[in-house]
Amino acid sequence: MQRRDRFALVIILAVLLGLPALLLGYQAWRQQPAVAGVRIIHIVARAPEQGGFSPDRLTLQVGERVRLRLSSPDVVHGLTIPGLGVNVDEIYPGRVVEVDVTPEKPGRYAFACTRWCGADHWRMRGVIEVVDLSPRPPATGNLPPQPPATGNLTPRPPSLAGKGELSSPPLVGEGPGERSLTREPPLYQQLGRDLDAMRPPASATPAGKPSAAAGAALAAKLPPELSDPLRRRAIAPADAFQRLRADPANAGLSDDDVWNLVAWAWFKDVSGPALARAAELYARDCAACHGPEGKGDGPIGANLPGMAKMDPTMPKGPADFTDAAAMLAAGDVLLQGKLLRGGMGTGMPEFGSLYTDEEQWAMIAYLRTFLFGK
Amino acid sequence: MHYAISEIPVIRRFLKSRWPQWGITVLTLAVFVVVIVTGLFGTPAGNHNFGIIYVWLVWWALLKLVLVPFLGRFWCSICPIPAPGDWLQRRSILTPRPGGKLYTLAGRVLRKSAAGAVHPWPRFLRNIWAQNFGFLAVALFSALILTSPLATALTLLAFILTSLGVSLLFERRAFCRYLCPIGGFVGVYGQVAPVAVRVKDPAVCLAHTEKPCYVGSDAGYGCPYFNLPQKLNTNMLCSMCGECLRTCDRNNVAFYIRPPGVDLLDTRDRRLDEAFNGLMMLAAAFVYSVVLIGADGRLKVIARAVGTPEWFAYAAGLLLFSVALVPGLFWLCVRLGQWMAGRDPAAAAGRGSRHADLFAGYATALVPLGLAIWIAFTLSFTLANVSYAWPALSDPFGWGWDLFGTAAMSWTPYLMGIIAYLQIPVLLAGLVAAVALAFRAARQHGQRPAAALPVSAFCVSAVVALLTLYMA
Repeated sequence: MQRRDRFALVIILAVLLGLPALLLGYQAWRQQPAVAGVRIIHIVARAPEQGGFSPDRLTLQVGERVRLRLSSPDVVHGLTIPGLGVNVDEIYPGRVVEVDVTPEKPGRYAFACTRWCGADHWRMRGVIEVVDLSPRPPATGNLPPQPPATGNLTPRPPSLAGKGELSSPPLVGEGPGERSLTREPPLYQQLGRDLDAMRPPASATPAGKPSAAAGAALAAKLPPELSDPLRRRAIAPADAFQRLRADPANAGLSDDDVWNLVAWAWFKDVSGPALARAAELYARDCAACHGPEGKGDGPIGANLPGMAKMDPTMPKGPADFTDAAAMLAAGDVLLQGKLLRGGMGTGMPEFGSLYTDEEQWAMIAYLRTFLFGK
Repeated sequence: MHYAISEIPVIRRFLKSRWPQWGITVLTLAVFVVVIVTGLFGTPAGNHNFGIIYVWLVWWALLKLVLVPFLGRFWCSICPIPAPGDWLQRRSILTPRPGGKLYTLAGRVLRKSAAGAVHPWPRFLRNIWAQNFGFLAVALFSALILTSPLATALTLLAFILTSLGVSLLFERRAFCRYLCPIGGFVGVYGQVAPVAVRVKDPAVCLAHTEKPCYVGSDAGYGCPYFNLPQKLNTNMLCSMCGECLRTCDRNNVAFYIRPPGVDLLDTRDRRLDEAFNGLMMLAAAFVYSVVLIGADGRLKVIARAVGTPEWFAYAAGLLLFSVALVPGLFWLCVRLGQWMAGRDPAAAAGRGSRHADLFAGYATALVPLGLAIWIAFTLSFTLANVSYAWPALSDPFGWGWDLFGTAAMSWTPYLMGIIAYLQIPVLLAGLVAAVALAFRAARQHGQRPAAALPVSAFCVSAVVALLTLYMA
């Protein structure tokens, strides 16, 4: 073999063998963290029908510096870890998004996709368990025993089996786990409300769209159960209307005025920023099924069973938030229960693990805007 | 009208040297290797995977817009797929073996003599029918192959392994000549190219009985495509690899620059397999225009859902359209032309052409038309999407790399406002050439000019239908 042929052979072998080795070796080298002490974790976000997050369960240590390297092989996904303050709006297919996390408190932190990536988008969730391996000071004896780490938490996101139905208890306990485990149960549980009981339609509905501003302008006095926002949550707007209508002090008001008062009662304690935040969350989490105008006509919800799951005579599909007879018969506490627990077979997922308390109530107030004007 | 550019000493030295061709082949082989590796291990998101972008956007655009129209089948001479097989057959990379001897696995296993070591390609496959049906077979899966890096990598691996296997058993570039699904249409459309390798004086070849251009010599190998250069009259089977330029010791082979489309001027004695290729490619351009870039995304989803009942329906439709409907319509046009022209004196005298000859002769018109349609089709998606090449260059696997600082460059359609102004002249030029060739075919086959009208109408309809499709 001549010298030039040997040279050519070396070049060809370098291309055939060296080039792949170089490329894959470069990637292996890149896997090493650039900064000492930073752990790199790859999370691949696939459409939920293809497996969702992989891995969907992580264990981190308190104080550990972690770089999450997120990628998607199929469609655009997002990522939120509410308890750790992580929000990644877009994980484009073929792109890698990096986000740094340093958990400060032990607990179990839910994470979820925030982009409508498919019909089962809402099932695309996972759990990060943050453990504290640092030596603890001995117990003083005054502290109550800590609940077991698992508590009433769902170990994994709901199974994909049985589309539209939760096959295991909902995931709760977002944010710092100890706080979530020790805080009081949600209001609907405290009041013992049965979320699935069939409710009669509202006994009265407004002719138009009541206005909170018009209600405020009436300068009427609200009874304590309506002026106190905590007590008001237990009352349905239709019942509030009947009470205000029956009040002799309002005898001179028309029905429309009384409805304006009801609207005022519902919005007087809701801030603009809270409603704006709720609007963002609604667009992110709800609009795909319930529709941008709350009419229950979102494209993803078309095939969901809805309330027909419980009563075949009920309409299929997501709830229509503009249906006054249904919505005004439901108090905020009932809506909170639905939001936290989900629809149990109706196709409505749970969002309790993703929203703060403030976001939950803001969302409920936002749902009222489909019937009440600010 | 023909200018022998290889008569310029510097260019002749360049063309006869093996280094440039070898160098480009190694470069394409390197790209090929990256395509395979990124396809196997990179992101499945096609628009961020080097394999998809550099094969189906960059290479395809280069092939359709530059290489084939201007350099004919030159791509075949720098294609990485047959290169390993070549090197194994030659047992050399650059310096030819004495006498340009080739080796095959069959020769070694069967312990045949050097002369008998080469295994001849089966006679019944010495045409491009296998290439035609190979193209159709790939076309059935094209929506998947064009969008899935893994499918692309596996397809190309299948090509290179088949090529390697064929080269170990059969002589020369049998895979490229008879099997490669790309080679068929590259050869057919390459006839338009304004370049050619031809002998200078056929009389010199007739007197030169050793034929080193075919059997090889110390200076190089016999034609890898089984061509006898003195009989070359089209670019159909010539990759312009330069072997005959190297082996001809009478200096009777030259590299010519010439007017485009000269190969098509003689519409007689055309082959049916090549005619079918032109029709099949025309049909495929329409199917792709509807399925891949059409307004209804559901068709693309169906075409990608390989194995589903809907996909089988799509596959049946594609085959029916490509194999039966378009060729059948064209055949009807040819027959209608015969009927319209009436019985002409040449035919009456027995000098008229048979139906098959007529069919193949008229199909020559589809070469410029088909090429123009494919150029228009390629323009429609290339300029819109080629900006994906920048991030894919820096991040070939979609793993978050940024090798050249271009990973974050966003998708930007280029020159979208002028695409139509590029497409329409190309289509019109193709149409004018097609109609002119149809009338030429009528004359050369002893028919009255009116006989060309149905085929001309066929060509006009194809262009109108395509423009309507794109405007919709």
